[in-house]
Amino acid sequence: MIQKAIRMKTRNKIVLYSLLWLGFSCTNLDEHLYDRVKDDEFGSAPNEVEALVGGAYSSLRGFRDDISNSFPTCEYVFFLNEVVSDEATIPTRGTDWFDGGQYQDAQRHQWNSDNGMILSAWRYCYAGIAKVNSIIYQIDQSGLSEDEKEPIYAELRAVRAYYYYTLLDMFGNVPVVTDFEDQGLPSNSSRAEVYAFVETELLESLPFLQDGIAYSKFTKNVGYALLARLYLNSEAFIGTPRWQDCIDMCQNISGYTLNPDFFANFATQNQTSSEIILAIPYDSDAGTVGNYLSSMTYHYLHAYTVSPTANYPWCGNGICAQPGAYSMFDDADYRKASLLAGEQINIATGSVLIMDSGEPLIYTEEIHEFTDAFQNEGVRLAKYEVLPGENWERDHDWVVIRYSEILMMQAECYVRMGAPELAAPFVSQVRSRAGMDTPALIDLDFINKELLREFAFEGRRRTDNIRFGTFFEPWWEKESTPEYRALFPIPTSVLSANTNLTQNPGY
Amino acid sequence: MNQDTKNSFLSRKAKIHFALWVLLLGFFTSIQAQTNLSVSGQIQDETGEPLMGASIIEAGTTNGTTTDFDGNFQLDMTSGNTIEISYLGYVSQTIQISENTSMPLKVILQEDSFALDAVEIVAVGYGTMRKSDLTGAISTVSEKDLTRGTLTSTEQVLQGRVSGLVVTQDTGDPSTGSSLRLRGGTSLTASNNPLVVVDGVPGVDINTVQPADIKTIDVLKDASATAIYGSRGANGVIIITTKGASKGFSVTYNGFAGVSYASNNLDLLSANQWRAYVRENNLTDAIDFGGDTNWQEELQQTAFNQTHTISINSGQEMGGFRGTVGYLNKEGIVKTTDLQRLNANISGYQYALDKALKFDIGLFANMEEWNPLDYRIFERAYNLNPTIPVHDENGAFTSVGGTLYENPVEILTNRTVKSKRNRLLGYFKTEINFWNNFQAVVNLSLEHNATNGNTYKPTYAVLEGMTENGYAQKTYGEYTNSQLETYINYTKAFGKSNLNAMVGYSFLQNDYEGFGAQRSGFETDLFGYNNLGAGQDYRLGDVYSYRGRSNLVSFFGRVNYAYDSRYMVTATVRKDGSSRFGANNKWGIFPSASVAWNITNESFLNESSWLNTLKLRAGYGVTGNQDGIGEYKSLSILGVGQDSYYDPVTDSWSLAYSPVQNPNPDLKWESTSQVNIGVDFRIFQRLWGSIEWYSKYTEDLLYTYEVPQPPYLVGTMLANVGELSNKGLEMTLNANLVSNDKFNWNTNVTFAKNKQKIEKLSNQVYETDIIYSGSLHGLSGMSNQFSQIIKEGYPVGTFWGYENYGLDDNGEFILSEEKTAIGDVQPDFTIGFGMNASYGNFDASIAGYGSFGQEVLNATNMMLYDGNRMPAYNVPDDFLGSGINSAPTFSDYWIEDASFFRLQNVTVGYTMPFENSNSKIRFYLMGENLAVFTSYKGVDPEVNLTGLTNPGIDRFNNYPRPRTFSLGLNLTIGN
Repeated sequence: MIQKAIRMKTRNKIVLYSLLWLGFSCTNLDEHLYDRVKDDEFGSAPNEVEALVGGAYSSLRGFRDDISNSFPTCEYVFFLNEVVSDEATIPTRGTDWFDGGQYQDAQRHQWNSDNGMILSAWRYCYAGIAKVNSIIYQIDQSGLSEDEKEPIYAELRAVRAYYYYTLLDMFGNVPVVTDFEDQGLPSNSSRAEVYAFVETELLESLPFLQDGIAYSKFTKNVGYALLARLYLNSEAFIGTPRWQDCIDMCQNISGYTLNPDFFANFATQNQTSSEIILAIPYDSDAGTVGNYLSSMTYHYLHAYTVSPTANYPWCGNGICAQPGAYSMFDDADYRKASLLAGEQINIATGSVLIMDSGEPLIYTEEIHEFTDAFQNEGVRLAKYEVLPGENWERDHDWVVIRYSEILMMQAECYVRMGAPELAAPFVSQVRSRAGMDTPALIDLDFINKELLREFAFEGRRRTDNIRFGTFFEPWWEKESTPEYRALFPIPTSVLSANTNLTQNPGY
Repeated sequence: MNQDTKNSFLSRKAKIHFALWVLLLGFFTSIQAQTNLSVSGQIQDETGEPLMGASIIEAGTTNGTTTDFDGNFQLDMTSGNTIEISYLGYVSQTIQISENTSMPLKVILQEDSFALDAVEIVAVGYGTMRKSDLTGAISTVSEKDLTRGTLTSTEQVLQGRVSGLVVTQDTGDPSTGSSLRLRGGTSLTASNNPLVVVDGVPGVDINTVQPADIKTIDVLKDASATAIYGSRGANGVIIITTKGASKGFSVTYNGFAGVSYASNNLDLLSANQWRAYVRENNLTDAIDFGGDTNWQEELQQTAFNQTHTISINSGQEMGGFRGTVGYLNKEGIVKTTDLQRLNANISGYQYALDKALKFDIGLFANMEEWNPLDYRIFERAYNLNPTIPVHDENGAFTSVGGTLYENPVEILTNRTVKSKRNRLLGYFKTEINFWNNFQAVVNLSLEHNATNGNTYKPTYAVLEGMTENGYAQKTYGEYTNSQLETYINYTKAFGKSNLNAMVGYSFLQNDYEGFGAQRSGFETDLFGYNNLGAGQDYRLGDVYSYRGRSNLVSFFGRVNYAYDSRYMVTATVRKDGSSRFGANNKWGIFPSASVAWNITNESFLNESSWLNTLKLRAGYGVTGNQDGIGEYKSLSILGVGQDSYYDPVTDSWSLAYSPVQNPNPDLKWESTSQVNIGVDFRIFQRLWGSIEWYSKYTEDLLYTYEVPQPPYLVGTMLANVGELSNKGLEMTLNANLVSNDKFNWNTNVTFAKNKQKIEKLSNQVYETDIIYSGSLHGLSGMSNQFSQIIKEGYPVGTFWGYENYGLDDNGEFILSEEKTAIGDVQPDFTIGFGMNASYGNFDASIAGYGSFGQEVLNATNMMLYDGNRMPAYNVPDDFLGSGINSAPTFSDYWIEDASFFRLQNVTVGYTMPFENSNSKIRFYLMGENLAVFTSYKGVDPEVNLTGLTNPGIDRFNNYPRPRTFSLGLNLTIGN
């Protein structure tokens, strides 16, 4: 009995100790990472720094989130800047492209701060800025020497200045944040302050930026071009004209020539063009996202005009030229092919495609009713090359600044400074490449129209419209526009998340 | 005596009756009876199962004893006296004992159906309790409720049976799962599914266990019951106890086979109706393709299903096992869809060391295979003109270009999609009794689920196949939950008091990993998805893999005290630490307390002739939900993926490393506090049930809030901000209408009402006024449009849009100026109804469930009642008379009351018993989904109301629910 009692006691002890051991053996709650890395464990080696800076460049392609597609090449940043201008429109076709009336509002200049496209544009810029700020912070923490850091900072600040320039253009009075560690909720800076910030950032970065041509990188040339743009629009932005400063900046730019073939700038392999100063590169094999503008413009059946087996991505029949834009091109103008009009042929059968309404598919300039357009109405954006078998994400790089813009900026400045004769040499280069003569009299109206012809659907028409003042005049499906709409409102959800912000005047 | 006490812990039954037993023993040891006869015997229930702890008392004396583990007893008594044999829940027997009585006695006690709920054993998490001792709100579904139907998933078992638990199978697709929601949702982000516990292992996939293996399901509803599961208890807990091995031998076969067809389709124009319309309206452009096609029916088939399950049980005193093998093959009513499942499980028990030690093992495995459906076919089936033939004159699929106009039969046919899933659950449980009143349990378990997906879209396939020139994809994902749970139970009875205490520790490690690959550009379609290397186009992101891990560490305890079966108090606490939580909130504490008063055990009510049971319960507790936090969500992390950048020097692309989220070191569980007040009653023996009232308040709601950027790195952030409340009332009513030798008739009704409200969406840091939800994105013309809001003062799933005042002369909707709340998806109340009867060897049962007052957006009709559709796109019959000539516009016109009652199951059976054995055979005929009573105009009113993204939106995902007729056979051979 005693032995049994001892045995039992021993057993009880074993049970108890085992349980205690089991019970306190593990209370470790650290997280083990396998397929990602903590930010403080990456970014000291040179190749790691490169991978971080690469993030600043990849941010330029935008992003997709739960609410919007913030792609500068497509939805909705591009749509917004184009649809509010005089060259593009997104008509409602039956049910299609109504989407809560956001495109109708944009066309009619009746947008409000709930418009999803405006939110997308805001997010596009600030997502990029926040990212660049964090990369600067990480470079700061890395073991690089100050000499090694300088050019990296300059490049990153130039990228950030590009985002702030976009905000200056679209929203004007926006908060300026540069310090990643600053966790306070920012308030608005005035448009003049933002303007001064962009100018200073670019000027301070310039000495450290790379010389010469480095495709797609923020080089000295890109810095000069951005400053030229800033000075060109200086009067529109802050009321101070700076035409000569614009010309001076343009003349700093070197190493570029107009590509003899206008459309080589928009070919699938356009990185070889001698004309492109800044582009956002795309390569679907490299997983780049957002570049499917062609699919947003062509008719649902367009694939049959590209490939006999319709081996071409689905098309959504959306954005097209606003009536009046296409007829601004002379028939002899080589650039008229930037827009596609007329019968669309099924290349397998050789006959005109028939839409489900039973009507033939003929792209027309006329749009009989903005809110209930026929599927075939509106001429289509055809600047970028279309190839059978293409992926949904197209491979052509998105052109941001071309050398012809540098030429046209100088021409415009000379006209505005009352010296149109000095504009002619610049204009004639652009015109002759298009197979066109240069008129004897170059005036602002001519420059305005020439900008449309040269840069149709390159995402910059709204800025030109505002600078030329046409933005405020009535045009197709739009009454006259009050001045305050030269800026977009700060999106409602942004205001609600940061109560330190005030809305732009007028909204 | 100590030895006996110890033994009493060795089995579940003993444990259950321990309290009673201790009382009796204490009583009997003081007795010095005068004896002249020794009587011995065994007490069994009707199935031959020994009853342990039954009391045997010599009438008119205080002399008595109780039966041991094997139901055996021995008593010294006076010859000629009678003994009274009683056992809770059974009809007592009186036997006169004399020298002539043949020994040993064999006494079989009959179940007392009225008293059954008093001894019903309820799993409460890390232990069991008698139902009569419960202080929390717990509903039980027992084996008897499970044997009637042809149930093929465990979720279906619960449909309509537990008040307050809404089970929705999303579609009629046999491969889709169901969502469960108890007492309204408590989360905007996380799953609102209850925690599932199988044989003590928490967090298990509910379909790891098949209905045929389930003994009982206990649904823990209020916080005082679920708080023992801490940060995972906020949505309720479903405790499944499997049949396990039992004493004796039996072989059981269950099998059934049936046919199904679509219970409802949309009424769209036939080819003739279409032609008549075109003629009458003189639509000269309309293209008549010469066919006569009902596109919905072209997609459908009469589906066959069969299920077979064989179980073997063999048990002795010291050990036993039970094994099951099952096979299910269920075709869907849409062609190509199906579900095949092979499942096997084995469980066993073994005693050792004088029964001081008990081992339990369980192993559950199943393999499923199915063909996932491309749900885009339904919208196209509604769109296509009925004059288009399925095939052209050459036998090829007719292809008419147009948007959303691809031939749905072609989509269905020209692709190969196959998914597989393996589920495995194994556990090894050790129970050790020590120091008389203590029992230690160690449960080691492992759950492993793996899913494998395969897709091939050939070069000639519409939608992707053609544009990608052949597309192949393989994916694999798995997770493993390794778990150690250990706890000590202490039980002590003194005087009229019963004390039970438990403390424990648990460690859970979740590991998941997976990979996938896809290629396109195939020269031949011969390989299908079996040779990805043959695809020539490769893109970044075509190959990926992932891996992650999280840990959950818990300490928990419970004290349960009962005095005189009249007053009961329970208190629990759990401390949970999770690696997913932010650095500032690694540990959470979840307490609860509850009390109960069994009034009928008071002397003043003891003699009541009509009031058999009246018990009041009240409890309060705090529980959590941590499902909304994925791994690593609190950290500052760099990701690498689609983010590549171009290097002009080398003309090549490299991958960028970029921050992917805002770090949130404060990230933590959602916290729900709940008050529950309940009444259990039984009157006139024949009518019994429960009424529960509860009020839940959830704080720290997880949501991906929009944050100002900068200063935040990313524009959205997962954070704990909002608050929401649920209040409700639940009733369960059971009635035994007739009960006699031949005829038995029982019915039960459940009723539940819940009211939900978002209380807050902002705090000091985050300001959110309104969140738009219920996205209509993807519907033509509805990009970036939302139909619902999440806003303070409204329930989740509140529709927000224009009111419609009718149609103007042009058939356009006349809409209100401003958007307003135009309905919500929350039901006013839900009910369940069941009735079963037996007459001699015949049995019959009926079951149904319903949901009332929920509003649903019929987005399918919203898109189909479109003035622009005809003649190219088909329309519903009713559209023609509707006068609508407008483009689809979201307004309250399309918000419909989707109240319904579904007659889910009617079964008629006949049982043939075999003489002198436990063997029997039963045949039955069953109909499922026989009728739906509703005024809803869509295909089916039972639209999924759970989730945040699209609750209560019926939009083209209308896989019709099948109507099924089956013939079944149950066969049991046993001793």
